[in-house]
Amino acid sequence: MNILLFKKLYQENLIDATALEKMETANRNRLFSLHWEIKTILYLGVLLLSGGLGILVYKNLDTIGHQIIIVLLAAVSIAGFTYCYKQKAPFSYDKVESPNAFFDYALLLGCLTFVTFIGYLQFQYGLFGSRYGLATFVPMAVLFFSAYYFDHLGVLSLAITNLAAWAGITVSLRRILYANDFSNHTLTYTALLLGAGLYIAGILSEQKKIKPHFAFTYQNFGAHIFFIAACAAIVVFEHTYVLWFLLAAGAGALVIRHGFRLRSFYFVLIAVLYMYVALTITIGCVLYRFADIDAILLALFYLIASATGIIILLIHLNKKIKS
Amino acid sequence: MIAYNRQSLDNLEIRQEANEAFKQGCISEDMQRAIHEAYPVKLYMPNLMISIGLFILTCIVIILSLCFFGLLNLEMFGDNFHILGIVWGLLCYVACELSVRGGRQCFHCGIDDALLYGAIIFIHGGLTLKSDPSMTVHSAIALLLTLLATLRFANAFCAGVAYLALLMLIFNLSTGPVAMAVLPFLIMLISGGVYLAVRKWKTRNSFRYYRNCLTVVEVLSLITLYAAGNYYIVRELSITMFEIELAPGQDIPFGWLFWILTVTIPLLYLYYGIRKKDVIRLRTGLLLVAAIVFTVRYYHHLLPLETAMVAAGILLIGGAWLLIRYLQTPRNGFTYKETDQQALMDKLQVESLIISETLTPSAPQQGMEFGGGTGGGGGASGQY
Repeated sequence: MNILLFKKLYQENLIDATALEKMETANRNRLFSLHWEIKTILYLGVLLLSGGLGILVYKNLDTIGHQIIIVLLAAVSIAGFTYCYKQKAPFSYDKVESPNAFFDYALLLGCLTFVTFIGYLQFQYGLFGSRYGLATFVPMAVLFFSAYYFDHLGVLSLAITNLAAWAGITVSLRRILYANDFSNHTLTYTALLLGAGLYIAGILSEQKKIKPHFAFTYQNFGAHIFFIAACAAIVVFEHTYVLWFLLAAGAGALVIRHGFRLRSFYFVLIAVLYMYVALTITIGCVLYRFADIDAILLALFYLIASATGIIILLIHLNKKIKS
Repeated sequence: MIAYNRQSLDNLEIRQEANEAFKQGCISEDMQRAIHEAYPVKLYMPNLMISIGLFILTCIVIILSLCFFGLLNLEMFGDNFHILGIVWGLLCYVACELSVRGGRQCFHCGIDDALLYGAIIFIHGGLTLKSDPSMTVHSAIALLLTLLATLRFANAFCAGVAYLALLMLIFNLSTGPVAMAVLPFLIMLISGGVYLAVRKWKTRNSFRYYRNCLTVVEVLSLITLYAAGNYYIVRELSITMFEIELAPGQDIPFGWLFWILTVTIPLLYLYYGIRKKDVIRLRTGLLLVAAIVFTVRYYHHLLPLETAMVAAGILLIGGAWLLIRYLQTPRNGFTYKETDQQALMDKLQVESLIISETLTPSAPQQGMEFGGGTGGGGGASGQY
């Protein structure tokens, strides 16, 4: 902090003597925080350990060393959960601060190794027989339970991606478009339902005060899944694309309204952009029928005008949320 | 020189200091409000999310209007498209000036950034499209354009590109056997010189509007100082760029020296980062420790990958655990608790997004074998 500046502010009577004194003490006793460095190291450690164990199990499937690795996997998982169980603060429906940075990553490690462990049991011993759904459902249930019981946002995100996987959808920024076959109509419907469901789950956790800080994660996943599925639907359903566009637009309007209530620039932005994409795809579908040079010029003109329009809209919305 | 209103920039800094002090509980809300009223800022600075949106949309408008304009005037330009590039670049520049100095004074709000990058890219393209000059000319033009842009708009990204263009220029100017032999040391020398100069300039009051730019160059100079002496980079560049023939098992000249540099420089960064409590050196050092690991593993396979992963994982988790225990009560001015400065990271919940992004299971596919797919930490999750 710039003490000279605050001395000047003091002379201008903008701050009082006690504030200046506080500032000077704070400056003298300033601590250097290693918070993010330690978190990064822990994250990398968990990533490497769980990943390495996963590969080890896979590579040694038929050797004797295999059993040892499985025991190791179970031991790591149990150790992670036990540590968290002992350290955790009492359960509450509100936000529970984690006791220390290590706690979060011990839980993450426990959960990841547990998922690998279940996957192995299913493969080697057919734990759930041919009920494949159950083999993804059980880890998902455990993940959701851990997320709520120990209050961990990262595990909640893992649980949500597992829920999506259970429903047959791959949720990942890098893979959401090409890992999912949206020309499969069932998949599109599932994704729309899942997205809407997650978004509503977010609203409910806020309203019912059940871990209200989980709301963002639910709504974030929900909104992205829903809008991407809706945009895909506009392309896939050749005859009813206008209806799907109306659905996307309606949902976008709801998200914007909700975003305003939360004063969240993020949700307003993604809703505006997705609505814009949906509109552009719809207009593209219309112009596609007249495939000639005029249609291309018209499309370019539309894109320039509309993008400018959206810029003005965003500036306007930004002002509106702020006030 | 700088395009933005100086008074507003100065007031902005005062406001930021006041916000910081408020967050740490040193001043009350009333005082913060009083300071904000006494020091008005007329710059247009929307929320970060909105800025990102504005940036994307402005890029779309710039590119598509170029297409539109080009298509309409296809005959006029013929094969002189480079003129169109220069014209378009100049138009972007004028628009950028207008957005900064017009009624709504944009300050890194996405619009001015996109227009500035557009201006640089189109002018550069226009100047070089027809003549197709050597890399030396390319880097010289890039250096000139980005340097001017940095001075005028205090754009941190341009500052970083300018620094890299400078290094590229030196790299391309070094021809002949002597220059090639000393090139790594020359680059290290320049990086070190730039680092020291930038550290000094950061404290100078006359450079106060450029602190962000200088920070970017500071980080980059630390990285290039390391990269110039890194064994992998020196060896591979010697082979591809300078066509040095190496027999299998043969080492590059002074190989041992580069191995020493590869291993010691990051550790030195870490050491001085901790001793001087310098975040930049500390974090760059941590990042470059990973570079040591990759360089060593590339030439010496000490352990199979998965065993190395498990061992490294245990080591990292154990080390972090010891560090947390050690810093349970703050020692020597260090703490593991977060001070309030990075509240933005928490607000965006970056951590949980990263976890879900890197450890995502795929949707199960019929007949997939156990462990067949996800390379991420989840290992076998989701498959059976």
